[in-house]
Amino acid sequence: MTLNLIARLSLTTMACLAPSLGLQAQQPGVTQLAGQVCASCHGPRGVSVSPAFPQLAGQGKEYLEVQLKAFRDRTRGDPMAQAYMWGMASQLSDDTIAKLATYYSRQKPARGKVGDPKIVQAGRTIFEQGLPGANVPACLTCHGKESEGNGMFPRLASQHAEYLLKQLVMFKSELRAGANAPIMHTVSTGMTFDQMVAVATYMRSR
Amino acid sequence: MSPSTVLRISAAGFLLTIVMVSTTTPVYAVPSYARQTGMACQACHTVFPELTPFGRSFKLNGYQLDNLPQVQGITASKDMTLLLNQIPPLSMMFQASYTRTKMALPDSAAPDARAQNGQILFPQQASLFYAGRIAPGLGTFIQMTYDSASGTFHWDNTDIRYVRQVGNSLTYGVTVNNNPTVQDVWNSTPTWQTPFDQKTSAAPVPGAATQIDGVLAGRGVVGLTGYMWLKHATYAEVGFYRSSPQTFSVNELSGPLDSTAGGVVTGAAPYWRIAHERQWAKNSLSFGAYGMTTKISQEGEPVGPPTDRFRDLALDGQYQFIGDPHILSVQTTYITEHQSLDGSVARGAAANASNDLKTFRLGGSYYFRRTYGGALGLFSTTGSSDAELYQAAPVFGFASNSPNNNGWTGELAYVPWQNMKFLVQYVSYHKFNGASTNYDGAGTNARDNKTLYVLGWFAF
Repeated sequence: MTLNLIARLSLTTMACLAPSLGLQAQQPGVTQLAGQVCASCHGPRGVSVSPAFPQLAGQGKEYLEVQLKAFRDRTRGDPMAQAYMWGMASQLSDDTIAKLATYYSRQKPARGKVGDPKIVQAGRTIFEQGLPGANVPACLTCHGKESEGNGMFPRLASQHAEYLLKQLVMFKSELRAGANAPIMHTVSTGMTFDQMVAVATYMRSR
Repeated sequence: MSPSTVLRISAAGFLLTIVMVSTTTPVYAVPSYARQTGMACQACHTVFPELTPFGRSFKLNGYQLDNLPQVQGITASKDMTLLLNQIPPLSMMFQASYTRTKMALPDSAAPDARAQNGQILFPQQASLFYAGRIAPGLGTFIQMTYDSASGTFHWDNTDIRYVRQVGNSLTYGVTVNNNPTVQDVWNSTPTWQTPFDQKTSAAPVPGAATQIDGVLAGRGVVGLTGYMWLKHATYAEVGFYRSSPQTFSVNELSGPLDSTAGGVVTGAAPYWRIAHERQWAKNSLSFGAYGMTTKISQEGEPVGPPTDRFRDLALDGQYQFIGDPHILSVQTTYITEHQSLDGSVARGAAANASNDLKTFRLGGSYYFRRTYGGALGLFSTTGSSDAELYQAAPVFGFASNSPNNNGWTGELAYVPWQNMKFLVQYVSYHKFNGASTNYDGAGTNARDNKTLYVLGWFAF
């Protein structure tokens, strides 16, 4: 390839990019924000690949708003919140938060993933009946019969089991505080680690 | 060859080795990105400097993610004319190191004497970074480094890129940079290869390396490449590099390059790169290929033919498991270089009209809680023997005229804070510059160059 040809190709490339160099006073739309920024961790349309990052697709609007504001206000302070979401949410306006919450609440949830039948059944029992002897209420009381979520109580169905397990552990240790966490601290205090695994596995299977 | 000539060659070789290593040592965990995004280092790095999938996305999107208050300017027609961080994206980096080889190097002036062993460099390197978003779509990684070996500041790794996105699945852009693969996002390519991204600059290293494996970076080049990244998975890049002296140690001229300069890239050297990555659960796996073709003019000869032509073709791969508390990474690359040495043969610097050089590296690292880690790796270079290109000289020479070398590297690391790393590294050579024993013709064995390297590394 001659230098002239390369130079011409380069100039052509730069010419293609040139119109975009005129900076526009245009804030990204919420679809663009979700697709180009949030998607890096939470996946396209809120279905994440890594269990380190929660599924957002189909999550309740109110719950998402409460959490995003808790990240912005730094009242939710678990390790991943501090490492990722404190920064990400710091400049979000109430309006953008509301739009993002609406966007994700309207996306099609991820499909459930089959787990070990015995563990799933144990989790289902806790989900439906709670642990009366340990003062743990049935999860469906707040999260809905189909674990679809309800207002400020999040959807749990098809959520990554590892993510849910981490949250339960952090509720119990109060590492996750703020934004409704006191309710879950009370609930999780009576649960053993194996019971948490069972509930998380059952939720992932829904 | 007289003893004094041998000593001078030896000293020059050692100095050249130091300059080569120090000008191509990568350093790229930059706290200004953390300040800009408001995110901890762990978002972009497994353990710095290795990138996570999010870190790769951040870089390919032009270092744009910005969660700081902005200084803004706007016209009456609502065109934005300024969007600038209230905090300039500045960072500092400081490295101090201790290096000890199994046998001390020969004294460069006193025959039969040895230099002091156990070299402390304080600093080994100290860098100033300007790294962050500077305008919508435009982001930088700019590094200026003080190098204790030369006692000067020099222009170090630089990547300035302009990026656009189409929908949510296509990112494309251009990067202007000064080192082939400095713009790459996988830690399997030469500039940012991990593990063992940090190396001593105070011990002998094997003398043969391919152009794309750091040689061009030390010579001063500038590249313009365009790239596209599709669906966060498929990457393609093409562009070219030209000579652009970047340090006084390369060339003191500010005018056009001429016969007084060495290693000048004639014309433009085309560069290309393709890669594909798949992510599932906590895993990511990537495979790719990259290469470039470079024509180099001869020092002392007018720029132009006869030149040496190097055609580099390489494969690379990377696997990452990013869990909590376990992180595992494996990187590998295989580089082949075909050399057509018309220029060197014409001036008697090479015996063969064409040679081959092949480098293979495989390394893996493990970290527990991103704090305690270790790494193990193998390296090997093989190539054609050449009686003129690879000549005998104390420590840095090739008595067998062969460029072959191989060995292994091990490392233990402690990362008490995400921006602070301490490591102990050991490099063992089975073969060095062509042979295991008396490889230089002056009685030096490969094992004499076994190196212990202790590094403290801070970025803030």
